[in-house]
Amino acid sequence: MATPKTQITDSPAEYSDTKRAPLGRVRSTGTPFTRTIGIATIVSMATLAVFGLVLSPADVRQGDSVRILYIHVGTVWIAYVAFTVTAVSSAAYLWKRTRSLTWDRFAGASAEIGVLFMALTLFAGSLWGRLSWGKFWVWDARVTSTAFMFITYIGYLAVRGLGGSHQQRAKRSAVVALLAVLQIPLVHFSVKLWRGLHQDSSVADRTHVTLQGLMLFSLFVSLIAFSLLYLWLLIHRQRVLAMQDALDDKGLDYALQQRRDEGDL
Amino acid sequence: MEDIGFILAVYIATFGSVTALALFILRRGRRLAAQLPDEDKPWI
Amino acid sequence: MLRVARLLAAKDLRIEARSRIVTNQVLPFAAIVMVMFAFALNSDAVVSRVAPGLVWLATLFSLLVLVQRAFAIESADGATDALRAAGVDPAGIFLGKAMALAVQLAVLEIVLLLSAVVLYRAQLRLSGVVLLVTTLVAATCGLALVGTLYGGLAAGVRGRETLLPLLLLPVVAPVLIGATRATEAALGTGGAAVADGWPWVGLLAVFVALFGVGGTLAFGPLIEE
Repeated sequence: MATPKTQITDSPAEYSDTKRAPLGRVRSTGTPFTRTIGIATIVSMATLAVFGLVLSPADVRQGDSVRILYIHVGTVWIAYVAFTVTAVSSAAYLWKRTRSLTWDRFAGASAEIGVLFMALTLFAGSLWGRLSWGKFWVWDARVTSTAFMFITYIGYLAVRGLGGSHQQRAKRSAVVALLAVLQIPLVHFSVKLWRGLHQDSSVADRTHVTLQGLMLFSLFVSLIAFSLLYLWLLIHRQRVLAMQDALDDKGLDYALQQRRDEGDL
Repeated sequence: MEDIGFILAVYIATFGSVTALALFILRRGRRLAAQLPDEDKPWI
Repeated sequence: MLRVARLLAAKDLRIEARSRIVTNQVLPFAAIVMVMFAFALNSDAVVSRVAPGLVWLATLFSLLVLVQRAFAIESADGATDALRAAGVDPAGIFLGKAMALAVQLAVLEIVLLLSAVVLYRAQLRLSGVVLLVTTLVAATCGLALVGTLYGGLAAGVRGRETLLPLLLLPVVAPVLIGATRATEAALGTGGAAVADGWPWVGLLAVFVALFGVGGTLAFGPLIEE
Protein backbone atom coordinates (compact mmCIF):
# COMPACT_ATOMS: atom_id res chain seq x y z
CA MET A 1 0.00 0.00 0.00
CA ALA A 2 2.88 2.35 0.66
CA THR A 3 4.30 2.38 -2.87
CA PRO A 4 1.25 3.67 -4.77
CA LYS A 5 0.88 6.44 -2.27
CA THR A 6 4.31 7.84 -2.88
CA GLN A 7 3.86 7.45 -6.63
CA ILE A 8 0.74 9.54 -6.51
CA THR A 9 2.13 12.31 -4.42
CA ASP A 10 5.21 12.40 -6.59
CA SER A 11 3.42 12.74 -9.93
CA PRO A 12 -0.33 13.19 -9.74
CA ALA A 13 -0.52 14.26 -13.38
CA GLU A 14 0.53 10.81 -14.51
CA TYR A 15 -2.79 9.40 -13.40
CA SER A 16 -5.05 12.08 -14.76
CA ASP A 17 -6.11 9.90 -17.69
CA THR A 18 -7.16 7.04 -15.47
CA LYS A 19 -10.84 6.37 -15.73
CA ARG A 20 -12.40 7.57 -12.54
CA ALA A 21 -13.81 4.57 -10.78
CA PRO A 22 -16.99 5.45 -8.97
CA LEU A 23 -16.16 4.51 -5.43
CA GLY A 24 -18.79 2.76 -3.43
CA ARG A 25 -20.63 4.36 -0.60
CA VAL A 26 -21.01 1.10 1.26
CA ARG A 27 -18.09 0.95 3.61
CA SER A 28 -18.52 -2.30 5.51
CA THR A 29 -19.28 -5.96 5.02
CA GLY A 30 -22.32 -5.75 7.28
CA THR A 31 -25.97 -5.99 6.31
CA PRO A 32 -29.04 -5.88 8.58
CA PHE A 33 -29.07 -9.69 8.49
CA THR A 34 -25.47 -10.09 9.65
CA ARG A 35 -25.92 -7.36 12.24
CA THR A 36 -28.81 -9.31 13.72
CA ILE A 37 -26.68 -12.45 13.79
CA GLY A 38 -23.83 -10.46 15.29
CA ILE A 39 -25.92 -9.15 18.15
CA ALA A 40 -27.42 -12.60 18.74
CA THR A 41 -23.88 -14.02 18.79
CA ILE A 42 -22.65 -11.53 21.37
CA VAL A 43 -25.70 -12.14 23.57
CA SER A 44 -25.43 -15.92 23.35
CA MET A 45 -21.66 -15.93 23.92
CA ALA A 46 -22.18 -13.80 27.04
CA THR A 47 -24.90 -16.21 28.14
CA LEU A 48 -22.51 -19.09 27.55
CA ALA A 49 -19.83 -17.47 29.69
CA VAL A 50 -22.33 -16.85 32.53
CA PHE A 51 -23.86 -20.32 32.41
CA GLY A 52 -20.60 -22.14 31.74
CA LEU A 53 -18.55 -20.42 34.41
CA VAL A 54 -21.10 -19.51 37.08
CA LEU A 55 -24.62 -20.90 36.88
CA SER A 56 -24.03 -24.51 35.88
CA PRO A 57 -23.01 -26.84 38.72
CA ALA A 58 -19.77 -28.81 38.92
CA ASP A 59 -19.98 -32.40 37.76
CA VAL A 60 -20.12 -35.07 40.48
CA ARG A 61 -17.27 -37.03 38.93
CA GLN A 62 -15.29 -34.46 37.00
CA GLY A 63 -15.69 -31.46 39.22
CA ASP A 64 -15.27 -28.04 37.70
CA SER A 65 -13.24 -29.28 34.73
CA VAL A 66 -16.56 -30.06 33.04
CA ARG A 67 -16.81 -26.32 32.40
CA ILE A 68 -14.09 -26.69 29.78
CA LEU A 69 -16.33 -29.09 27.90
CA TYR A 70 -18.90 -26.38 27.18
CA ILE A 71 -16.23 -24.69 25.09
CA HIS A 72 -14.60 -27.85 23.79
CA VAL A 73 -17.80 -29.42 22.46
CA GLY A 74 -18.90 -26.17 20.84
CA THR A 75 -15.60 -25.54 19.09
CA VAL A 76 -15.19 -29.12 17.85
CA TRP A 77 -18.75 -29.05 16.53
CA ILE A 78 -18.01 -25.89 14.57
CA ALA A 79 -14.71 -27.25 13.30
CA TYR A 80 -16.45 -30.32 11.89
CA VAL A 81 -19.26 -28.22 10.42
CA ALA A 82 -16.71 -25.87 8.87
CA PHE A 83 -14.73 -28.68 7.25
CA THR A 84 -17.94 -30.25 5.98
CA VAL A 85 -18.93 -26.92 4.43
CA THR A 86 -15.48 -26.72 2.85
CA ALA A 87 -15.89 -30.18 1.32
CA VAL A 88 -19.41 -29.52 0.04
CA SER A 89 -18.47 -26.12 -1.40
CA SER A 90 -15.41 -27.63 -3.07
CA ALA A 91 -17.56 -30.33 -4.65
CA ALA A 92 -20.00 -27.64 -5.79
CA TYR A 93 -17.10 -25.77 -7.38
CA LEU A 94 -15.77 -28.83 -9.18
CA TRP A 95 -19.20 -29.79 -10.48
CA LYS A 96 -19.38 -27.95 -13.77
CA ARG A 97 -23.00 -26.89 -13.55
CA THR A 98 -22.54 -25.06 -10.25
CA ARG A 99 -19.00 -23.82 -10.89
CA SER A 100 -18.58 -20.39 -9.34
CA LEU A 101 -15.78 -18.71 -7.45
CA THR A 102 -18.29 -17.94 -4.72
CA TRP A 103 -18.21 -21.64 -3.76
CA ASP A 104 -14.43 -21.51 -3.67
CA ARG A 105 -14.49 -18.50 -1.38
CA PHE A 106 -17.02 -20.17 0.90
CA ALA A 107 -14.72 -23.21 1.04
CA GLY A 108 -11.71 -21.06 1.89
CA ALA A 109 -13.50 -18.92 4.46
CA SER A 110 -14.94 -21.98 6.11
CA ALA A 111 -11.58 -23.76 6.25
CA GLU A 112 -9.92 -20.74 7.88
CA ILE A 113 -12.58 -20.64 10.57
CA GLY A 114 -12.37 -24.42 10.94
CA VAL A 115 -8.61 -24.32 11.49
CA LEU A 116 -8.96 -21.70 14.23
CA PHE A 117 -11.69 -23.69 15.95
CA MET A 118 -9.71 -26.91 15.60
CA ALA A 119 -6.77 -25.21 17.31
CA LEU A 120 -9.05 -24.06 20.12
CA THR A 121 -10.51 -27.57 20.35
CA LEU A 122 -7.08 -29.14 20.72
CA PHE A 123 -6.06 -26.52 23.28
CA ALA A 124 -9.21 -26.91 25.39
CA GLY A 125 -9.09 -30.67 24.96
CA SER A 126 -5.53 -31.04 26.14
CA LEU A 127 -6.10 -28.86 29.21
CA TRP A 128 -9.23 -30.84 30.00
CA GLY A 129 -7.31 -34.06 29.44
CA ARG A 130 -4.68 -32.92 31.92
CA LEU A 131 -7.37 -32.37 34.54
CA SER A 132 -9.34 -35.56 33.97
CA TRP A 133 -6.73 -38.05 32.74
CA GLY A 134 -3.61 -36.45 34.14
CA LYS A 135 -2.16 -36.20 30.62
CA PHE A 136 -2.22 -33.46 28.04
CA TRP A 137 -2.32 -35.99 25.24
CA VAL A 138 -3.53 -39.54 24.76
CA TRP A 139 -2.95 -41.57 21.62
CA ASP A 140 -6.63 -42.17 21.24
CA ALA A 141 -7.95 -42.56 17.69
CA ARG A 142 -10.30 -39.59 17.97
CA VAL A 143 -7.69 -37.27 19.48
CA THR A 144 -5.03 -38.28 16.98
CA SER A 145 -7.18 -38.02 13.90
CA THR A 146 -8.39 -34.62 15.09
CA ALA A 147 -4.79 -33.46 15.17
CA PHE A 148 -4.26 -34.89 11.68
CA MET A 149 -7.32 -33.04 10.48
CA PHE A 150 -5.88 -29.82 11.88
CA ILE A 151 -2.60 -30.31 10.03
CA THR A 152 -4.41 -31.35 6.84
CA TYR A 153 -6.42 -28.16 6.70
CA ILE A 154 -3.38 -26.05 7.47
CA GLY A 155 -1.97 -27.70 4.34
CA TYR A 156 -5.20 -26.89 2.52
CA LEU A 157 -4.84 -23.21 3.43
CA ALA A 158 -1.22 -23.33 2.26
CA VAL A 159 -2.42 -24.68 -1.09
CA ARG A 160 -4.85 -21.78 -1.33
CA GLY A 161 -1.95 -19.41 -0.85
CA LEU A 162 0.13 -20.86 -3.69
CA GLY A 163 -0.73 -18.11 -6.14
CA GLY A 164 -1.78 -18.27 -9.76
CA SER A 165 -5.16 -17.25 -11.09
CA HIS A 166 -8.32 -17.47 -8.98
CA GLN A 167 -9.50 -20.39 -11.09
CA GLN A 168 -6.22 -22.23 -10.55
CA ARG A 169 -6.43 -21.64 -6.83
CA ALA A 170 -10.05 -22.77 -6.77
CA LYS A 171 -9.48 -25.98 -8.70
CA ARG A 172 -6.32 -26.98 -6.85
CA SER A 173 -7.76 -26.33 -3.43
CA ALA A 174 -11.07 -28.00 -4.26
CA VAL A 175 -9.23 -31.18 -5.24
CA VAL A 176 -7.17 -31.04 -2.06
CA ALA A 177 -10.32 -30.53 0.03
CA LEU A 178 -11.95 -33.57 -1.51
CA LEU A 179 -8.80 -35.66 -1.03
CA ALA A 180 -8.90 -34.65 2.62
CA VAL A 181 -12.34 -36.22 2.84
CA LEU A 182 -10.77 -39.43 1.56
CA GLN A 183 -7.83 -39.19 3.91
CA ILE A 184 -9.40 -38.40 7.26
CA PRO A 185 -11.53 -41.56 7.66
CA LEU A 186 -8.50 -43.63 6.62
CA VAL A 187 -6.27 -42.01 9.21
CA HIS A 188 -8.95 -42.43 11.87
CA PHE A 189 -9.45 -46.08 10.99
CA SER A 190 -5.75 -46.87 10.92
CA VAL A 191 -5.02 -45.13 14.21
CA LYS A 192 -7.92 -47.03 15.73
CA LEU A 193 -6.46 -50.32 14.51
CA TRP A 194 -3.05 -49.24 15.77
CA ARG A 195 -4.38 -48.39 19.22
CA GLY A 196 -6.34 -51.63 19.32
CA LEU A 197 -3.05 -53.47 19.73
CA HIS A 198 -1.98 -51.53 22.77
CA GLN A 199 -5.12 -52.04 24.83
CA ASP A 200 -4.75 -48.83 26.79
CA SER A 201 -7.35 -46.82 24.96
CA SER A 202 -9.64 -47.40 27.93
CA VAL A 203 -8.42 -44.12 29.36
CA ALA A 204 -10.67 -42.45 26.83
CA ASP A 205 -13.69 -44.31 28.17
CA ARG A 206 -13.68 -42.23 31.31
CA THR A 207 -14.99 -39.33 29.30
CA HIS A 208 -18.60 -40.31 29.85
CA VAL A 209 -20.49 -37.56 31.55
CA THR A 210 -24.19 -37.70 32.13
CA LEU A 211 -25.39 -34.20 31.55
CA GLN A 212 -28.59 -33.09 33.15
CA GLY A 213 -30.48 -29.92 33.89
CA LEU A 214 -28.38 -26.80 33.81
CA MET A 215 -25.34 -28.63 32.47
CA LEU A 216 -27.26 -29.88 29.44
CA PHE A 217 -28.72 -26.41 29.00
CA SER A 218 -25.24 -24.84 29.06
CA LEU A 219 -24.16 -27.26 26.37
CA PHE A 220 -27.08 -26.23 24.18
CA VAL A 221 -26.25 -22.57 24.75
CA SER A 222 -22.70 -23.37 23.67
CA LEU A 223 -23.82 -25.07 20.46
CA ILE A 224 -26.17 -22.22 19.58
CA ALA A 225 -23.62 -19.52 20.40
CA PHE A 226 -20.85 -21.12 18.38
CA SER A 227 -23.16 -21.85 15.44
CA LEU A 228 -24.22 -18.21 15.28
CA LEU A 229 -20.61 -17.14 15.58
CA TYR A 230 -19.61 -19.45 12.73
CA LEU A 231 -22.36 -18.11 10.51
CA TRP A 232 -21.35 -14.51 11.18
CA LEU A 233 -17.65 -15.18 10.60
CA LEU A 234 -18.32 -17.20 7.44
CA ILE A 235 -20.50 -14.56 5.80
CA HIS A 236 -18.18 -11.70 6.60
CA ARG A 237 -15.03 -13.59 5.66
CA GLN A 238 -16.57 -14.68 2.37
CA ARG A 239 -17.41 -11.06 1.55
CA VAL A 240 -13.90 -9.96 2.40
CA LEU A 241 -12.47 -12.67 0.15
CA ALA A 242 -14.81 -11.64 -2.68
CA MET A 243 -13.56 -8.05 -2.42
CA GLN A 244 -9.98 -9.30 -2.24
CA ASP A 245 -10.45 -11.21 -5.50
CA ALA A 246 -12.15 -8.24 -7.15
CA LEU A 247 -9.27 -6.03 -6.13
CA ASP A 248 -6.76 -8.54 -7.50
CA ASP A 249 -8.67 -8.70 -10.80
CA LYS A 250 -8.92 -4.99 -11.36
CA GLY A 251 -5.39 -4.25 -10.41
CA LEU A 252 -4.47 -1.20 -8.44
CA ASP A 253 -6.73 1.15 -10.38
CA TYR A 254 -9.27 1.57 -7.65
CA ALA A 255 -6.70 1.86 -4.92
CA LEU A 256 -4.85 4.56 -6.82
CA GLN A 257 -8.06 6.36 -7.60
CA GLN A 258 -9.05 6.32 -4.01
CA ARG A 259 -5.73 7.62 -2.75
CA ARG A 260 -5.94 10.38 -5.29
CA ASP A 261 -9.43 11.35 -4.18
CA GLU A 262 -8.15 11.58 -0.66
CA GLY A 263 -5.36 13.80 -1.93
CA ASP A 264 -7.87 16.01 -3.74
CA LEU A 265 -9.83 16.52 -0.60
CA MET B 1 -13.39 -23.42 42.32
CA GLU B 2 -10.68 -25.98 41.68
CA ASP B 3 -8.57 -25.86 38.50
CA ILE B 4 -9.67 -22.28 37.94
CA GLY B 5 -6.48 -21.49 36.06
CA PHE B 6 -7.03 -24.10 33.35
CA ILE B 7 -10.72 -23.26 32.99
CA LEU B 8 -10.10 -19.54 32.68
CA ALA B 9 -7.25 -20.17 30.24
CA VAL B 10 -9.63 -22.06 27.95
CA TYR B 11 -12.37 -19.42 28.16
CA ILE B 12 -9.99 -16.51 27.66
CA ALA B 13 -8.17 -18.17 24.75
CA THR B 14 -11.43 -19.03 23.03
CA PHE B 15 -13.26 -15.75 23.52
CA GLY B 16 -10.11 -13.75 22.90
CA SER B 17 -9.07 -15.38 19.64
CA VAL B 18 -12.61 -15.41 18.31
CA THR B 19 -12.99 -11.70 19.04
CA ALA B 20 -9.63 -11.03 17.45
CA LEU B 21 -10.64 -12.89 14.28
CA ALA B 22 -13.98 -11.06 14.11
CA LEU B 23 -12.31 -7.66 14.51
CA PHE B 24 -9.66 -8.57 11.94
CA ILE B 25 -12.32 -9.57 9.41
CA LEU B 26 -14.33 -6.41 10.04
CA ARG B 27 -11.34 -4.12 9.69
CA ARG B 28 -10.15 -5.91 6.57
CA GLY B 29 -13.67 -5.60 5.18
CA ARG B 30 -13.81 -1.88 5.90
CA ARG B 31 -10.46 -1.29 4.29
CA LEU B 32 -11.31 -3.24 1.14
CA ALA B 33 -14.82 -1.80 0.89
CA ALA B 34 -13.36 1.68 0.89
CA GLN B 35 -11.24 0.78 -2.14
CA LEU B 36 -13.91 -0.80 -4.31
CA PRO B 37 -17.04 0.46 -6.05
CA ASP B 38 -20.38 -0.88 -4.96
CA GLU B 39 -20.64 -3.19 -7.98
CA ASP B 40 -17.92 -5.36 -6.46
CA LYS B 41 -19.93 -5.89 -3.30
CA PRO B 42 -22.39 -8.60 -4.26
CA TRP B 43 -24.15 -8.64 -0.91
CA ILE B 44 -25.70 -5.22 -1.32
CA MET C 1 -4.14 -45.54 -21.14
CA LEU C 2 -2.01 -48.37 -19.82
CA ARG C 3 0.20 -48.21 -22.88
CA VAL C 4 0.72 -44.49 -22.28
CA ALA C 5 1.48 -45.24 -18.66
CA ARG C 6 4.05 -47.87 -19.57
CA LEU C 7 5.73 -45.57 -22.07
CA LEU C 8 5.90 -42.73 -19.57
CA ALA C 9 7.22 -44.98 -16.83
CA ALA C 10 9.91 -46.29 -19.15
CA LYS C 11 10.84 -42.73 -20.08
CA ASP C 12 11.12 -41.65 -16.42
CA LEU C 13 13.18 -44.70 -15.52
CA ARG C 14 15.47 -44.15 -18.47
CA ILE C 15 16.06 -40.57 -17.35
CA GLU C 16 16.80 -41.77 -13.83
CA ALA C 17 19.11 -44.51 -15.08
CA ARG C 18 21.11 -41.96 -17.06
CA SER C 19 21.22 -39.18 -14.51
CA ARG C 20 22.02 -41.58 -11.62
CA ILE C 21 20.51 -39.10 -9.16
CA VAL C 22 18.70 -41.89 -7.35
CA THR C 23 21.69 -44.16 -6.98
CA ASN C 24 24.18 -41.40 -6.28
CA GLN C 25 22.12 -39.15 -4.02
CA VAL C 26 18.86 -40.62 -2.77
CA LEU C 27 20.20 -44.03 -1.74
CA PRO C 28 23.14 -42.57 0.20
CA PHE C 29 20.70 -40.14 1.83
CA ALA C 30 18.48 -43.03 2.95
CA ALA C 31 21.53 -44.90 4.23
CA ILE C 32 22.75 -41.98 6.31
CA VAL C 33 19.25 -41.59 7.76
CA MET C 34 19.42 -45.22 8.90
CA VAL C 35 22.77 -44.59 10.57
CA MET C 36 21.47 -41.42 12.21
CA PHE C 37 18.54 -43.34 13.70
CA ALA C 38 21.02 -45.65 15.38
CA PHE C 39 22.90 -42.63 16.79
CA ALA C 40 19.69 -41.09 18.12
CA LEU C 41 18.32 -44.25 19.70
CA ASN C 42 21.71 -45.34 21.03
CA SER C 43 20.77 -48.88 22.04
CA ASP C 44 21.09 -52.16 20.14
CA ALA C 45 18.00 -53.60 21.78
CA VAL C 46 15.82 -50.59 21.02
CA VAL C 47 17.09 -50.30 17.47
CA SER C 48 16.37 -53.92 16.62
CA ARG C 49 12.93 -53.65 18.23
CA VAL C 50 11.96 -50.58 16.16
CA ALA C 51 13.84 -51.56 12.97
CA PRO C 52 10.68 -52.00 10.81
CA GLY C 53 9.40 -48.57 11.79
CA LEU C 54 12.76 -46.98 11.01
CA VAL C 55 12.88 -48.65 7.60
CA TRP C 56 9.51 -47.16 6.70
CA LEU C 57 10.32 -43.78 8.19
CA ALA C 58 13.48 -43.62 6.09
CA THR C 59 11.36 -44.66 3.09
CA LEU C 60 8.98 -41.76 3.70
CA PHE C 61 11.80 -39.24 3.92
CA SER C 62 13.30 -40.58 0.71
CA LEU C 63 9.84 -40.54 -0.89
CA LEU C 64 9.74 -36.77 -0.40
CA VAL C 65 13.06 -36.42 -2.21
CA LEU C 66 12.05 -38.80 -4.99
CA VAL C 67 8.75 -37.04 -5.62
CA GLN C 68 10.45 -33.65 -5.85
CA ARG C 69 12.87 -35.20 -8.31
CA ALA C 70 10.14 -36.91 -10.37
CA PHE C 71 8.36 -33.61 -11.00
CA ALA C 72 11.48 -31.51 -11.31
CA ILE C 73 12.31 -33.40 -14.52
CA GLU C 74 8.80 -32.68 -15.81
CA SER C 75 8.38 -29.04 -14.97
CA ALA C 76 11.96 -28.07 -15.83
CA ASP C 77 11.32 -27.99 -19.58
CA GLY C 78 7.56 -27.62 -19.39
CA ALA C 79 7.35 -31.31 -20.27
CA THR C 80 4.00 -31.76 -18.53
CA ASP C 81 2.48 -28.95 -20.56
CA ALA C 82 3.85 -30.54 -23.71
CA LEU C 83 2.30 -33.86 -22.77
CA ARG C 84 -1.02 -32.19 -22.08
CA ALA C 85 -0.84 -30.27 -25.33
CA ALA C 86 -0.18 -33.53 -27.18
CA GLY C 87 -3.48 -34.79 -25.81
CA VAL C 88 -2.02 -37.45 -23.54
CA ASP C 89 -4.59 -38.82 -21.11
CA PRO C 90 -3.87 -37.35 -17.64
CA ALA C 91 -4.80 -40.69 -16.06
CA GLY C 92 -2.06 -42.25 -18.18
CA ILE C 93 0.44 -39.62 -17.03
CA PHE C 94 -0.57 -40.24 -13.44
CA LEU C 95 -0.24 -44.01 -13.61
CA GLY C 96 2.97 -43.80 -15.60
CA LYS C 97 4.71 -41.51 -13.17
CA ALA C 98 3.40 -43.58 -10.27
CA MET C 99 4.81 -46.75 -11.85
CA ALA C 100 8.23 -45.19 -12.32
CA LEU C 101 8.17 -43.92 -8.75
CA ALA C 102 7.10 -47.34 -7.50
CA VAL C 103 10.05 -49.04 -9.16
CA GLN C 104 12.49 -46.57 -7.60
CA LEU C 105 10.82 -46.92 -4.21
CA ALA C 106 10.93 -50.70 -4.39
CA VAL C 107 14.69 -50.66 -5.00
CA LEU C 108 15.11 -48.22 -2.14
CA GLU C 109 13.01 -50.30 0.25
CA ILE C 110 14.98 -53.46 -0.47
CA VAL C 111 18.25 -51.64 0.18
CA LEU C 112 16.85 -50.16 3.40
CA LEU C 113 15.58 -53.54 4.56
CA LEU C 114 18.96 -55.12 3.93
CA SER C 115 20.67 -52.29 5.75
CA ALA C 116 18.31 -52.88 8.68
CA VAL C 117 19.41 -56.52 8.70
CA VAL C 118 23.03 -55.47 8.75
CA LEU C 119 22.92 -52.39 10.96
CA TYR C 120 20.01 -53.13 13.31
CA ARG C 121 20.31 -56.93 13.35
CA ALA C 122 16.75 -57.37 12.12
CA GLN C 123 16.03 -61.06 11.44
CA LEU C 124 14.47 -62.18 8.20
CA ARG C 125 12.55 -65.44 8.49
CA LEU C 126 11.32 -67.83 5.86
CA SER C 127 7.73 -68.08 7.14
CA GLY C 128 7.27 -64.34 6.78
CA VAL C 129 8.58 -63.96 3.25
CA VAL C 130 5.17 -63.99 1.55
CA LEU C 131 3.82 -61.41 3.98
CA LEU C 132 6.94 -59.28 3.63
CA VAL C 133 6.78 -59.23 -0.16
CA THR C 134 3.05 -58.48 -0.18
CA THR C 135 3.58 -55.65 2.28
CA LEU C 136 6.39 -54.21 0.21
CA VAL C 137 4.29 -54.31 -2.96
CA ALA C 138 1.16 -52.83 -1.34
CA ALA C 139 3.00 -50.09 0.56
CA THR C 140 5.09 -49.19 -2.48
CA CYS C 141 1.99 -48.83 -4.65
CA GLY C 142 0.28 -46.70 -2.02
CA LEU C 143 3.26 -44.41 -1.51
CA ALA C 144 3.86 -44.06 -5.24
CA LEU C 145 0.24 -43.18 -5.98
CA VAL C 146 -0.07 -40.59 -3.23
CA GLY C 147 3.38 -39.21 -3.90
CA THR C 148 2.60 -38.72 -7.58
CA LEU C 149 -0.74 -37.12 -6.79
CA TYR C 150 0.60 -34.52 -4.38
CA GLY C 151 3.80 -34.12 -6.35
CA GLY C 152 1.73 -33.18 -9.38
CA LEU C 153 -0.19 -30.71 -7.27
CA ALA C 154 2.92 -29.01 -5.95
CA ALA C 155 4.83 -29.18 -9.24
CA GLY C 156 5.80 -25.89 -10.76
CA VAL C 157 4.69 -23.62 -7.96
CA ARG C 158 6.81 -21.52 -5.68
CA GLY C 159 7.51 -22.99 -2.28
CA ARG C 160 6.82 -26.58 -3.32
CA GLU C 161 9.81 -27.93 -1.43
CA THR C 162 8.24 -26.93 1.86
CA LEU C 163 4.64 -27.55 0.92
CA LEU C 164 5.07 -31.14 -0.22
CA PRO C 165 6.04 -32.63 3.17
CA LEU C 166 3.19 -30.76 4.87
CA LEU C 167 0.67 -32.22 2.43
CA LEU C 168 2.18 -35.63 1.95
CA LEU C 169 3.17 -36.82 5.42
CA PRO C 170 -0.32 -36.67 7.00
CA VAL C 171 -1.73 -38.58 4.04
CA VAL C 172 0.78 -41.41 4.22
CA ALA C 173 0.39 -41.90 7.97
CA PRO C 174 -1.85 -44.96 7.41
CA VAL C 175 0.87 -46.48 5.20
CA LEU C 176 3.48 -45.91 7.89
CA ILE C 177 1.27 -47.56 10.50
CA GLY C 178 0.15 -50.44 8.31
CA ALA C 179 3.49 -51.22 6.69
CA THR C 180 5.38 -51.03 9.98
CA ARG C 181 3.03 -53.42 11.77
CA ALA C 182 2.96 -55.83 8.84
CA THR C 183 6.75 -55.79 8.57
CA GLU C 184 7.06 -56.41 12.32
CA ALA C 185 4.81 -59.43 11.89
CA ALA C 186 6.81 -60.68 8.93
CA LEU C 187 10.13 -60.32 10.74
CA GLY C 188 8.77 -61.47 14.07
CA THR C 189 9.95 -58.28 15.80
CA GLY C 190 8.89 -58.24 19.44
CA GLY C 191 7.46 -61.76 19.14
CA ALA C 192 4.78 -60.84 16.58
CA ALA C 193 3.18 -63.74 14.70
CA VAL C 194 3.01 -63.80 10.91
CA ALA C 195 -0.78 -64.07 10.92
CA ASP C 196 -1.02 -60.72 12.78
CA GLY C 197 0.34 -58.97 9.72
CA TRP C 198 -2.41 -59.69 7.23
CA PRO C 199 -5.03 -57.25 8.55
CA TRP C 200 -2.44 -54.50 8.06
CA VAL C 201 -1.89 -55.56 4.49
CA GLY C 202 -5.66 -55.23 4.13
CA LEU C 203 -5.40 -51.65 5.37
CA LEU C 204 -2.67 -50.97 2.81
CA ALA C 205 -4.83 -52.51 0.07
CA VAL C 206 -7.74 -50.22 0.99
CA PHE C 207 -5.36 -47.27 0.86
CA VAL C 208 -4.07 -48.28 -2.57
CA ALA C 209 -7.59 -48.77 -3.93
CA LEU C 210 -8.91 -45.44 -2.60
CA PHE C 211 -5.99 -43.34 -3.73
CA GLY C 212 -5.60 -45.24 -6.98
CA VAL C 213 -9.14 -44.33 -8.00
CA GLY C 214 -9.12 -40.90 -6.35
CA GLY C 215 -5.74 -40.01 -7.82
CA THR C 216 -6.65 -41.10 -11.34
CA LEU C 217 -9.74 -38.91 -11.19
CA ALA C 218 -8.10 -35.95 -9.50
CA PHE C 219 -4.84 -35.78 -11.42
CA GLY C 220 -6.39 -34.40 -14.60
CA PRO C 221 -7.95 -31.31 -13.01
CA LEU C 222 -4.75 -30.77 -11.01
CA ILE C 223 -2.34 -30.51 -13.92
CA GLU C 224 -4.53 -28.89 -16.59
CA GLU C 225 -4.08 -25.32 -15.61
